[in-house]
Amino acid sequence: MSTLHPDSELMDLLDRIAAQDDAALKRLYERTSSQLFGLALRIVRNRDAAEDVLQEAFLTIWRSAGSYRASLSPPMAWMGLIVRSRALDALRKRTTDRADLMNELDDAMAQTLEGDAPNPMDAADASEQAFALHHCLGKLDHKQREVVSLAYLRDQSHGELAEQLKLPLGTVKTWIRRGLEQLRACMARYA
Amino acid sequence: MNITQHPDLLDRLAASYALGTLRGGARRRFEALAREHATVRAAALVWQTRWSGLTELQPQVAPSPAVWTRIDNLVRAGQLEQAMLAARQAAPAQAPGGWWRNLLVWRGAAAAGAIATLAAVVVGVQVNGGLRATTGAQIAALQQQLQATPQIQYVAVLADDKAAASMLVTFDPKNNQLVLQRVGGFQEGADKSLQLWALPPAGGPRSLGVLGQDKLLKLVAGEADVRQVPALAISLEPKGGVPSETGPTGPVLFKGELIQRML
Repeated sequence: MSTLHPDSELMDLLDRIAAQDDAALKRLYERTSSQLFGLALRIVRNRDAAEDVLQEAFLTIWRSAGSYRASLSPPMAWMGLIVRSRALDALRKRTTDRADLMNELDDAMAQTLEGDAPNPMDAADASEQAFALHHCLGKLDHKQREVVSLAYLRDQSHGELAEQLKLPLGTVKTWIRRGLEQLRACMARYA
Repeated sequence: MNITQHPDLLDRLAASYALGTLRGGARRRFEALAREHATVRAAALVWQTRWSGLTELQPQVAPSPAVWTRIDNLVRAGQLEQAMLAARQAAPAQAPGGWWRNLLVWRGAAAAGAIATLAAVVVGVQVNGGLRATTGAQIAALQQQLQATPQIQYVAVLADDKAAASMLVTFDPKNNQLVLQRVGGFQEGADKSLQLWALPPAGGPRSLGVLGQDKLLKLVAGEADVRQVPALAISLEPKGGVPSETGPTGPVLFKGELIQRML
């Protein structure tokens, strides 16, 4: 932890946004849009849709920053949940609207499992709570980390994940079960 | 089997539940248990918070510069709309004497004026479509989305000194209500009352109200009463409770952290 915690800067910005200071909104956007856009893109997998999600999320932040302090959450976690919620709405809408597009997207998804980067996650701005999760996820192997992350981020069942990742259902279940067991043991040390 | 007696199983189910992979009948059974047992609910909240960290850990990608332009335009359009609303709403108040002084009539007129103004603004924005055809529709869509914004809710599980959950407290911001559910077997004597206290980070405990004898209790409270309050406690007081300024005079029976749930 550095002496000037990034959280305090973001919280100050949210306070100013709550007072309808649009310069603060611009600054917050500059500080966090890449992080939040990365999240939106991970969930909806399509640049245009992810940009719509980011736009909606920032307008939500603009309107509801006043309730941030009451959330008792780290600022990035609060904004992350807003983005995830908007992204899931978009995902559901798109899935019903254009089912034919999904095959194409599934291929792109399957590729995400091919690499074996040690831990591609970015914890630069992460809260302490996310840092613990980051540390524990880092101990899983790549495939387990991916399916567990995708299950949460996209709110998908074992069956949906198996279909999209082109994997047998049993494999997905096993990866998630083992990933969860390791994570639980690791997270228990941070409790 | 009582799940609350099996902490490892409870933790595993709570982790799967919050991850979203616990589905179908198993999910419904877990939800039913959570409604029944405060410890189950607390375990689910812990994992919901942990998993939410995943949203902070994704690789960064720069969005196109057009996104900020769109956000900035919509924010400015919103500010303008509010300024116009405020200006027009002020107008009916200047109407002179006679029956205009009647408060009810005045209020009705103000409301009608506000509605007319809103309609005028929306029409105005749409008529102005030569410049920005989609703004009106975008504002409407936006307002709809904001309506659907998750309700912020507070939850506390108050436990006794043996860590047995005894009271589940939730805050419903829509109705400005604290809802308390007794989950343990504790029942105070007929000459005593339980009193709920907010324990703010600075200053003494603040009374949130005195509890009746029912299993499900409701107290009126504003969001300001629970905002930034890290913990709640319940003390045993003489019948009817004590004034907030004196603070608790009897023993503190239950206390617990106040958690905000966001989904």
